[in-house]
Amino acid sequence: MIGTLKGMLTTVRWLLRRPVTAHYPEQHLPVQERYMGFPALLMDDTAGEPFCTGCMVCVRECPTQCMSAQMHDNPKFTDGTSHRRKIINEFEINLNRCILCGICVDVCSFDAIEMSYEHELASYARAGSRADLDLLLEQGRRYMEMSGWNPENPEKNVAGVALAKRAAAAAAKTAAGEAGPADDSTEGGE
Amino acid sequence: MTTEQTYETVDMMLNMGPQHPATHGVFRMVLTVDGEHVVDVTPHIGYLHRGSEKLAENETYGQVITLFDRLDYVANLNNELIFCRAAERLMGIDPPERGQYIRVILAELNRLASHLLFIGTYAIDLGAMTPIMYGFRERERIQNLFESVTGARMMHNFIRIGGVKEDVPPDFVPRVRALADDVQRGVEEIDRLLTFNEVFLARTRGVGVIDVPTALSCGLTGPGLRASGVAYDVRKDYPHEVYPYLSYKVPVGENGDCWDRYYMRVLECYESLSMVRQCLDQMEEGPVMAQMRRIARPPKGEVYVHGENPRGDIGVFLVSDGTDKPYRVKVRPPSFCNLVALRPMMRDAYIADAVAILGSLDIVLGEVDR
Amino acid sequence: MRSKPVQLAIAVVLLVGVGVLVAVFTLALALLGEPGDDVTVLTVGKIVIALFALLTLVTTLGMSLVWLERKQLGRMQGRVGPTRVGPFGLLQVVADGIKLLMKEDVSPGSSSKAIFYVAPLLVFVPSFVVWLTIPIGRDLVVRSLDLGVFFFIAVSVLSIVGLILAGWSSNSKYAILGGFRSAAQLVSYEIPLILGVLSVVMVADSMRFTDIVDAQASVPYLALLPLAFAVFFISGLAEVGRTPFDIYFAESEVVGGPFVEYSGAHWAIFFLAEYVNTFLVAALGALLFLGGWTWPFGELEQYPAVALFLGKTYFLAVVIFWVRATLPRLRIDQLMNVGWKMLIPLGFVSVILVAVQRFYGWPTWTLTLMSVAVLGAAAFVQLRLQRSDAVATAERYAQHAVAVQPSRSRPAPESQQA
Repeated sequence: MIGTLKGMLTTVRWLLRRPVTAHYPEQHLPVQERYMGFPALLMDDTAGEPFCTGCMVCVRECPTQCMSAQMHDNPKFTDGTSHRRKIINEFEINLNRCILCGICVDVCSFDAIEMSYEHELASYARAGSRADLDLLLEQGRRYMEMSGWNPENPEKNVAGVALAKRAAAAAAKTAAGEAGPADDSTEGGE
Repeated sequence: MTTEQTYETVDMMLNMGPQHPATHGVFRMVLTVDGEHVVDVTPHIGYLHRGSEKLAENETYGQVITLFDRLDYVANLNNELIFCRAAERLMGIDPPERGQYIRVILAELNRLASHLLFIGTYAIDLGAMTPIMYGFRERERIQNLFESVTGARMMHNFIRIGGVKEDVPPDFVPRVRALADDVQRGVEEIDRLLTFNEVFLARTRGVGVIDVPTALSCGLTGPGLRASGVAYDVRKDYPHEVYPYLSYKVPVGENGDCWDRYYMRVLECYESLSMVRQCLDQMEEGPVMAQMRRIARPPKGEVYVHGENPRGDIGVFLVSDGTDKPYRVKVRPPSFCNLVALRPMMRDAYIADAVAILGSLDIVLGEVDR
Repeated sequence: MRSKPVQLAIAVVLLVGVGVLVAVFTLALALLGEPGDDVTVLTVGKIVIALFALLTLVTTLGMSLVWLERKQLGRMQGRVGPTRVGPFGLLQVVADGIKLLMKEDVSPGSSSKAIFYVAPLLVFVPSFVVWLTIPIGRDLVVRSLDLGVFFFIAVSVLSIVGLILAGWSSNSKYAILGGFRSAAQLVSYEIPLILGVLSVVMVADSMRFTDIVDAQASVPYLALLPLAFAVFFISGLAEVGRTPFDIYFAESEVVGGPFVEYSGAHWAIFFLAEYVNTFLVAALGALLFLGGWTWPFGELEQYPAVALFLGKTYFLAVVIFWVRATLPRLRIDQLMNVGWKMLIPLGFVSVILVAVQRFYGWPTWTLTLMSVAVLGAAAFVQLRLQRSDAVATAERYAQHAVAVQPSRSRPAPESQQA
């Protein structure tokens, strides 16, 4: 009997306390900083193109084979506005298959893919959860704004930084080369 | 024509599951019942078979961790830990101490989350509606912490071969301390509400009793075996990670009935909390990941490693042929082995007891069927 | 979500709606003639109108309990309960009802169709018919029968038939198990319930509900007969299948028992009957033990009196739901033990105590004394046994635990080594 009475006191005490429920559609609980939502592609604003070069390493390493990618030659590389020879042409993630493990982010060496904060992607059509390049970039944009994301390896991956660095190296080379033979100076732009 | 008829009463076959609310997933018990008495029970498994072991042979070591997440899906980090330990043993890697502390903290918190879920669902099985809400409330806090550390609430993929994925966030230690205090209060509340409730005692004391020889011969491990009185705990008997640095108690029961199995888990909740606190005290700065190649490629060989999951003794037998994919992965899932004890426990049970006994074994079907 | 004032306005409208229902019920009663009247088309029409008013009132009160239970359980479990439909989720029950009525009504192919579809009515009709004699105010009763209590006991037992037929006709193993369980449970708990009521009848010297309530104008019978109240309340819980006695539709064992195969409107009738019965037990408790619409501080007008009665009833309902939020469910053999070995003897003790007091003409306060003594003795024995057991067990298990000391000493931190 004393156990029952103790239990009844425990339950009645909650009548006076605030419920812990969050009213979902009105009230969204904040996601944690490290939250891993669906993967998204990031945009290199210095060149106006995605970081992704379509190297396929994430496609190969994905445990569920949820991604597919296709690359093509980067027209901006020939313009000299980007340091990427190849650029992603088509990228599709089947979000129904994705298990949010984050392996694609671990293996990517171009800072191109990140686990975004997106987690409310319900759709009415079964094919509605196939995310194409535009949607992935849009999600990536949102993620960059929310998290203040910075590339891990800007010198290698950000077009503006990489081009500037190469230009500086070329300039240094040219400056150094004025004493020596001037033949190499044109190669610096690449 | 004779007016005399003989009536023969036959036992009734009662299919419990795979869509029964008390079978915790897609488990099926075929009960042979005589009125309310259970005469015999035949467990049927395999409704959630996903071929995890075979799948693992086609995945790289890094990818297998995601499969282990999905075996015992209420104690994910414990599963990741056991596979990573097996691969590390094979490769001869020793994770740095900070990495080991983070692993143990997370594993113990996950044990806590799993036990809280058990207490709640067990109360639901016995008809009490409230403890599961209290249990989920505390589990939610733990999962929020997991989210801030690993980025995911259930399928973490955080413990890696050679350490953990990344260091914990800067506010980890104060946050876990506050969490431990909160959860302690929550566990005490559930304890007060349920443990010594007369109806609960009546439903669980002396129900599903299993003695030590039977338990051992059935391969029962974990809280189920400790409830019978055998102080077998892999953390104690085969020290690994940083467990040897901690002082804790292994609760042991007396009767081996459902109440003992339940109470072992309540006591283990308190022990886990104390272990987490000790780890926080002892943890120092340092690397969290061992120096190793990016792609794990263990040398040819085989290894069997086991550890203490919330449900019992989980073992991994790993065979490597020297490539980046395992040649064979065999899991000894505690839930599956504990199910063997279902039949001896069901002696002289009522239908209501069948539910209580199955609940007290705390099976997770993802692990039973793999 | 609508704004707070609008929600409050709707809530007030709903509350007023219940008041209007009571008023309509009063008017309908005024329409109703006396038993001696000639049967004409007019009187039949009046009776139909009065019964319809009663049905609406009873249904509304039953549905209000659904809301109360969900809200209260929610709060006791740290949740909020229904919030979406209407203010404070008040209209959630209506929405659920509409949903159930629009659902397809499925029956198992091998069921006995006629019985299968009649069974819900067999459960609901008795629980409605007993309201004919249960007053919600001094004059607010369809027929104040001389043998009102007897009528209630006689009619309410009938719903067992419906449950067994529902379980049998479903041709499902879970349903038949639930049907057996309901038969065993309801038949055996009927006896202590009657014994509890009988004590009250003996003290009040009447079987008419209005007389019993009026006899409590100064002292409610709860004070005189705590033992009878305990017996009545516990067996009442079992009678309507509330936790911890909800074994005949235990969802984790027999998955809804007799109702397992029902869907749509027929299931809705079972559901409604369950809550109307719960309200009935709470109302009976209020009438027989808490003094109904009277209180010791003088006479009340009609509407405040009804409000007082409803308040007492809802209080008992809250206690019923409170018990549900706390306790697990008993097993069938334990349920039988509680019924036959505990409640029935206590019920007989209660009746005998009253009989002795009446026979020897002792003052009424001796009733309280004897009742409390019996209850106290039972509680004391239980408390002693249980408390020492719980504390000792916890201590024993703490001692059993195998302590593990650190087996390896950690190397001192590098800062201290230097």
